Amino acid sequence: MAESNAVEIRDVVKVFGFGEFAFSAVDHASIAIRKNEFFTLLGPSGCGKTTLLRLIAGFEFPTSGEIILNGEDIGTMPPFKRPINTVFQSYALFPHMTVAENIGFGLTMLGRPKQEVRDRVAAMLKLVRMENLAGRRTSQISGGQQQRVALARALAPQPKVLLLDEPLSALDYKLRKDMQIELKRLQGETGITFIFVTHDQEEALTMSDRIAVMSAGKILQVDSPRAIYDAPADRFVADFIGETNFLSGRIGSVTDGIAHVDTAMAGRISATLPRDFVAEGDVTVVLRPEHAALCDADDPAACQTTGTLENIVYFGTDTHYHVRLGDGETQFMLREQNKPLQRQRFSVGDRVGILFEPNAARVLRN
Amino acid sequence: MARRFSVQRQTGFATIAIICFFALYLPIVVLVFYAFNSADSLSSFQGLSLRWFARAFENRQVIDASIRSLQIAGVAATAATIAATMAAIATTRTEPYRGLTLKYAFINQPLMVPEIVTAVALLIFFARIKIWTGYNGLGYLIAAHTAFCVPFAYLPIRARLENMDSTLEKAAADLYATPWNAFRYVTLPLLWPGILAGFMLAFVISLDDVVITEFVKSAGQDTLPTYMLGQIRRTITPEMNAISALFLLLSICVVIVFFVVNRKRV
Ligand SMILES: Nc1ncnc2c1ncn2[C@@H]1O[C@H](COP(=O)(O)OP(=O)(O)OP(=O)(O)O)[C@@H](O)[C@H]1O
Ligand SMILES: [Mg+2]
Repeated sequence: MAESNAVEIRDVVKVFGFGEFAFSAVDHASIAIRKNEFFTLLGPSGCGKTTLLRLIAGFEFPTSGEIILNGEDIGTMPPFKRPINTVFQSYALFPHMTVAENIGFGLTMLGRPKQEVRDRVAAMLKLVRMENLAGRRTSQISGGQQQRVALARALAPQPKVLLLDEPLSALDYKLRKDMQIELKRLQGETGITFIFVTHDQEEALTMSDRIAVMSAGKILQVDSPRAIYDAPADRFVADFIGETNFLSGRIGSVTDGIAHVDTAMAGRISATLPRDFVAEGDVTVVLRPEHAALCDADDPAACQTTGTLENIVYFGTDTHYHVRLGDGETQFMLREQNKPLQRQRFSVGDRVGILFEPNAARVLRN
Repeated sequence: MARRFSVQRQTGFATIAIICFFALYLPIVVLVFYAFNSADSLSSFQGLSLRWFARAFENRQVIDASIRSLQIAGVAATAATIAATMAAIATTRTEPYRGLTLKYAFINQPLMVPEIVTAVALLIFFARIKIWTGYNGLGYLIAAHTAFCVPFAYLPIRARLENMDSTLEKAAADLYATPWNAFRYVTLPLLWPGILAGFMLAFVISLDDVVITEFVKSAGQDTLPTYMLGQIRRTITPEMNAISALFLLLSICVVIVFFVVNRKRV
């Protein structure tokens, strides 16, 4: 099965500093990134995304662990020997060269014949739709165009893996959306494995085949965007991706994979128990705001819990409701999609019920 | 509406500026003016003539000293620039470490140690070597000039390197450039204006040196400045002015060449 992996990171640790200042920027990380995959590293600022990328590129060397490419540990190989290219956040285009010279640089360094370099540069310019700017200096083109040149330059030598460190963060909103589509298209057309770094969860969810969520140097979960969103492995992932309600309590009983959890704020609620979860002790129930709905508080059979409606925020496509739960402290969020000509059923101050399917809520360990 | 503070609008600013410019440039203007004096001495001005320039060009000693100056400056500035470039790369393209500041100080030592001290030290040191080896050529002057030119070449090169984005070199390495190729195709072309500035500065400093040259030179190894110093001790004729004016012209040319070459680059 090792053949289907583009890069495999095995128990990699990267320590910066010495003695009492020593600190692990990457902490026992293991990921297998598949061939032809759009893989995203997602996590808050300072969690070690760039460090992990630099380890794969060869600008840093791991303190321990292995980085496997083509069945070989490349952990200590210098960057110029790795068939891996990088799109830098600052683009790092060579200012003394033209667009075409920038794109051809990698192939020239590999000692490819001039004709081949020319053909490939022309093909790359076509791929990123910049044919008419080949002779320009890189200082004479716009930020979006520089971005494309950086991409073309990194793709030209046909690397096994392309690394992209927040390549879109310097672009404005509109251009960013365009480039997201462009990146997906390029990945599909070239068939090269992309490892993409971002701290924008929406970007990660829309673009990736799989996502690794990182925190404090550790890999918390590697999964498809849907699985990350619908079935977060722990509290951090649930909190980091999208909005979530947290209800903590103790498991009372379990029937058919559904746990009945006794909570201080919402009474007894039912939620899905993940497979191989040891059902005991203190747990947290997580629930997405759009997976819950308001219901009549006087109909306890239909509602999981009740509270007081505190706030209604209208967003055009949907409406957000903030409900103060029974304990008077916890605020519960709900999101309902707006339908045409819908009448407002509840108003601020009303006692309301909250309704959700047990399989929309998940039990997580604390 | 409050006016923004501007040093240019302070009373007396213009006056002081003008006085300073006069103090700096008036003597030079007078010197150049008297180079065209047709009289035999500097005491009176008797009309325009180029005779002292002609005299200077006929003077074998002046020609020899000039050629020697250019030879020494050319070789010393080149050697110093190469050494300074290597030193600048070694001290900027590294993570800061204990002892790095000491290295800066070490490289810039000639700027801090009084020139006369270096001169005396070299005199004694080279005297020994001269006895041991029997060699008496220009090598000593070239070695001495190279040594004190290094910091002048180093400063602009280092400044340029520090302003240069080091991710460019990483990008080169990422695109399969070996360390040498990354230097050759990325660092060097971008560093070139700094190297040129360093070379020009070293060249002019070497050309201008009196103190160390005076102590280190053997008999018959006068450079233009030490020759002029020797002449002025005897008699002052407008020939000295003519030589000085030509010297000035050369310096101006060096600076102009530098600006022209630099403007073409990024
Ligand atoms: N060369 C270094 N020396 C010491 N510490 C470092 C070094 N590089 C990174 N770090 C530290 O390692 C941690 C991870 O840094 P890294 O740049 O990988 O974060 P990141 O996830 O890319 O963050 P961001 O989203 O802000 O770019 C940070 O705490 C950072 O301060
Ligand atoms: Mg980063």
